[in-house]
Amino acid sequence: MLNEIVTFLNNEVSGCNAVLNTAEVGDSSITIDAKHIKPACVALKNSSTFKMNVLQVISGVDYPETSEIEISYMLASFIENTEFILKIRVPRGDDSNLPSVESVCDVWKSANFLERETYDMLGVTFENHPDHRRILCGDDWKGYPLRKDYVVEKVYNGMVVDPEEKINKADIEFFAKMRLEHEDPTAVSGSWVDDHAWIDQDLSSKAKNRVAEVKAAKKAKAAEAAAQEKGSKDD
Amino acid sequence: MTDMNTEKLKTELLTLNMGPQHPATHGVLRVEIKTDSETIAEAIPHLGYLHRCKEKHSEYLDYRGIIPYTDRMDYLASMNMEHGYCLAIEKMLGTEVPRRAEYVRVIVAELQRIASHLMFFGTYAIDLGAFSPFLYAFQDREFILRIFEELSGARLLYNYIWIGGVWTDINDAQLKRIENFLEELEENVKKYHSLVGENSIFIGRTANVGVISEEMAYEYGATGPVLRGSGIDWDLRKKRPYSIYEEFDFDVITGKGLKGQVGDCWDRYHVRILEIFESIKIVRQCLEGIEEGPIMGKVPKVLKVPKGEIYMRTECPRGELGYHIVSDGGKTPYRVKVKSSCFTHVSMLPEMAPGQMIADFVASIGSIDIVLGEVDR
Repeated sequence: MLNEIVTFLNNEVSGCNAVLNTAEVGDSSITIDAKHIKPACVALKNSSTFKMNVLQVISGVDYPETSEIEISYMLASFIENTEFILKIRVPRGDDSNLPSVESVCDVWKSANFLERETYDMLGVTFENHPDHRRILCGDDWKGYPLRKDYVVEKVYNGMVVDPEEKINKADIEFFAKMRLEHEDPTAVSGSWVDDHAWIDQDLSSKAKNRVAEVKAAKKAKAAEAAAQEKGSKDD
Repeated sequence: MTDMNTEKLKTELLTLNMGPQHPATHGVLRVEIKTDSETIAEAIPHLGYLHRCKEKHSEYLDYRGIIPYTDRMDYLASMNMEHGYCLAIEKMLGTEVPRRAEYVRVIVAELQRIASHLMFFGTYAIDLGAFSPFLYAFQDREFILRIFEELSGARLLYNYIWIGGVWTDINDAQLKRIENFLEELEENVKKYHSLVGENSIFIGRTANVGVISEEMAYEYGATGPVLRGSGIDWDLRKKRPYSIYEEFDFDVITGKGLKGQVGDCWDRYHVRILEIFESIKIVRQCLEGIEEGPIMGKVPKVLKVPKGEIYMRTECPRGELGYHIVSDGGKTPYRVKVKSSCFTHVSMLPEMAPGQMIADFVASIGSIDIVLGEVDR
């Protein structure tokens, strides 16, 4: 079926330069020239043989080595029960010069959200899109997260997003201090494990020793009490 | 005099934020509604409150490590999420899954579908102001969660279906219990439907409300019960069978417009209720046909998927779930794109809302049965 679509596209949309990518593993696809995406989609939708009436998803992949972003349109015909992947490649650009593709919102309305997601995640702009905004990230988000060279920001709106130390050490130290200062350290319980190498070893060993001491003292006291009781019984 | 006054008086639309914390939006969906008194003039959904960067995370994990993440997308249908992902990877690897594992997979996937539809039934009744159906639905759902807990150790996020098979085997006692449960469930669901679905208040709230025409369903790429509710005979389990679904005998349920127009909220409700019975049929056939044998196929220890890409879709309780997986031959995928059915369904809201009353809009959101974990991923 893919061969027929390639011939159809080359005949119908002049200059779209459709090429079949045969895959040994997984799905084959068709790549066309990025400028002709909309006419190609219109032709596929209106064609009486293919009837591609559903756009399922738009998926973008970033290829920094070739400096390109590949956008895959998963098209399907729910009438003919067929599906295939239509691809375009656009230059990657940078923040000041984002790649641009013509929107297919007029062809399928589902493209609206899908193109917004592609813009949000990969930084591909869509011309003539009715509502061209970010969708999953906040409106003030910087950068395009699914690009391979995206660096996670350290701070977002005053919140530390990517702290250097991923574990809250203060909590664990607090646990150790409680056991040193509390009158009955055996009653202090915590879900923190304090045998990590990066914990203040001095502090944690002191806390452990104190717990052991108090436990031993308690045990001795209990033993003494038991012996006394035994003694009193013997009398 | 009066003319002058009316000239001075002006009316404007009232902007109302529904959500992100709102019981009727089933999670953290925020819909910005412009209302003219009770009637909605415009609705703009704002997504992303539950965006957890699953697609980005997947680029740093090995192929097996992604399975628990897929669970957390649609947390009401975790088994189906895992199933789709594992099928995609198995297709790339060319792994053959043992027959017993396939049966177990279908059993858990269909039980999960039942659990998910029961959840829909309960929450939808709550949306429309009836509380007790929720408790009934959860009683039956509880049995399914218990079985899953025995199999996987978890009640919601299972990590049960693995690449090549399933984690643990199901035993005869469990199969017997499922068989008994299905009989009970069949009676119960009939009862629930007569209690809720045939109730005239319920019909009044849902019939002719939130109509999705056939045309609109195609335009927006609707799938699953939403598409079938609009009267379109499309089920991936029939049309493009995966796993061992072609061996089972079941019907595809479509909306008939019994209480109003085709494609209204009542139709979508009815499709889901009838699908529970179809799932029961499939599980029963599984229980009859299940074979002895291994539950894990031959999969290399270090998983390297050959270079290439795949788009694999499966029929989940909420619609079609698609995984677009691009591999560069390494241990981690180059790109994982998840096609979420709820995401496309949410994009219908701006078209469904204008002209509706706010209460009807709540009924419409409920009827497309979104899970925000899947919308935002």
